[in-house]
Formats: sequence, C-alpha cells, structure tokens
Amino acid sequence: MTEEVKYTKAADLPEELREHLGALILVLADNKRLLGMRYSDWILGAPALEAGIACSAMAQDEWGHGRIFYAMLRDFGQDPNRLEHERESSEYRSIELLDGPAEDWTELLALNLLLDSALSVQFEAMADSRFEPVHYKVSKLLDEERFHFEHGRGWVARLGSTEAGREAMQKAFAPAWEACVRWFGPDDDGVARRLRDAGITDKDAAGLRARWLERVAPVVESVGLGLAEASNGTWRSSVEPAWDGWDSDVRRGREGGPDAETLVRVRGDKNRPLLMD
Amino acid sequence: MSEGDRLWEVFARRKRADHFEHVGCVEAPNPDLGRVYAWQTYDEAKWFEMIVAPRDAFHCVNRPEQPFTLHPSAEALT
Repeated sequence: MTEEVKYTKAADLPEELREHLGALILVLADNKRLLGMRYSDWILGAPALEAGIACSAMAQDEWGHGRIFYAMLRDFGQDPNRLEHERESSEYRSIELLDGPAEDWTELLALNLLLDSALSVQFEAMADSRFEPVHYKVSKLLDEERFHFEHGRGWVARLGSTEAGREAMQKAFAPAWEACVRWFGPDDDGVARRLRDAGITDKDAAGLRARWLERVAPVVESVGLGLAEASNGTWRSSVEPAWDGWDSDVRRGREGGPDAETLVRVRGDKNRPLLMD
Repeated sequence: MSEGDRLWEVFARRKRADHFEHVGCVEAPNPDLGRVYAWQTYDEAKWFEMIVAPRDAFHCVNRPEQPFTLHPSAEALT
C-alpha cells in the first residue's frame, strides 16, 4: 500500500472494497436515521426541559448525518430515495437496539452514550480515510457528536449519584452494552481488516472496540455498572458477545429489522403522496 | 428545578473581536450537562465561543441582592 493513493469517487475503488465500503456507509446511515428517530421520541417527555431540547438537537444532528451518507451512496450506484423511503424492514442495517423504541429514559441514555459513541468511533476511524468523500464529512460530524457524548456522560453521572438511578441504568445498559461490543465485529473480522489495510479506516474490529471501550468504559465504571474492567491501563468488556448468525456487512447478529411502527415512521409512509423527488 | 440542579449562566460571542454577551441560563446538575444544554439551547447564532458558569459563582458588586435578580414585575412572568 502506498501513501499517495486517494480515492475521490466510488468508481476508483477496487470492486471488493467498493462493496464493503458501500455496505459500511449504509450501516452508518441507517443507524444514524434510526437513532435520530429514537432521540426525537424524547423531545417531549424528557426528564428536564433542557434534556428535551438536547434530544431535539441530537435528533437533527443524526438526521443530518444520515442524509449525507444516504446521498453518498448514489456514487455507489444506489438510489438514495429508495434507500430512505422504499425498503422493507429486513433490508435495514441498523443495530437491533433500534428496532423498537427506548422504553424509558435510561434506555435512551444507553443509546446516547453507548451506541452513539460506537458510531462516532467508526466515523473517527475514517477521519483520514483515503476515500476522500467520507474524509471530508467526518470532521464536522465529530464536532457535533462531542456534545452527544457529554450529554450521555453528564446523565450517567447524575443518575449514578443515587442507588435507584444506578440500578435502573444497570438494567438498561446491559443489553445495549453487549450489542455495542458485538457491533464492531469479531476481532479477526475480515471485512474490517480489508477496510483498514486499504486505508479506508485506521483500525480493525479489535482496534475499534478498544477505542470505544477507552471512551465509554471509564464513564460507566465511574458509577460502578460492572460492564468493564481495567487492567494495566487497558479496558476490557466484562461481557463476551455471542457471534451466532453474525454478518459483517450487515452488522447485525440476527434476522429481523425495525418493527412495523418504526418502519412506517422511518420511511415516512404517511407522507408518501407528498414526496417530490 | 429538580433536586441537585444548579443554574448555569451562559455567555457567548459571535467573533473573537466581540465582547461576551449574556445569552441566558440553563438548569443542570453538572458541568457536562450545563455545557451541552447551553450549546443546544442557545443555538440562535454561529457562536465563536460560548462559556458557562454556575450562577452562585457570581458576586454582585454594587447592589445588595443576588446577581441576576429580576425586577419583581419581570420575575412574576418567569
């Protein structure tokens, strides 16, 4: 591999790489779109007025990011309009955690701190990507995401100050933690390694997971949620995910997709007659 | 205001050459949330710089009442 190689459009990429990167961009766009919807669910009904405003801002950020990356897939031969409005549930590549609504504030907080950070870690790995269209979009995205992380960290500190808050977080964070640990793929994941070796990303699955752990583990363990352990300055998950049925391109561990109500909303089914382009 | 929350005063300036202006306040239990809430609530301008400080960090110089105290007629509206 040579330092000089830059890809300015999808057609410049070797075919196999183009397929893997196209798949990764769709994974990220779908997760952004669905996560934005989950934030929006809490604009009214958050525990504080300011938290509702924060959910509104974070929802707008996620939708903006999603739209940028759906649009980017046009260059990969896909139709963004179909991607956004016409797919079946089984075609979505969003993580299982987003298939249904966050049932309470701690579940939303788990998405905010754990999942949003996982997505940011994946984007951060493309900050110096040789695929320039991604590289140019990542910096602003990460600037916005810094506030999402601080929102999550601030709320963990707040809820962690009471036993009831800590217990509620333990219940909500455990499944989200396992899903996010798995989301990066197995340590020896071939797709992630090929993307790293080609300079599209800067870390393989193990490296991405380690970076995520470095970011979120100190937060969850500052209030003793028992999800990670530190040894010689390195964080390790206390939970080993199950890999049955894992698909590296889809980044989901099982069959399925967004539930019926989620699908209607995310596709904009009620506004279908109004779609102009 | 919820238990454990404090008021944070928010100041911002549009350009490095500007002085800070007081843009409002938010309620938050810790600096992380104070900063996030301030940035996301007072997003009416593309600020060059925004800062927050707990209201109780301010000391009135020339009046006996607490800083940021509104006239009673205005307080009734909040």
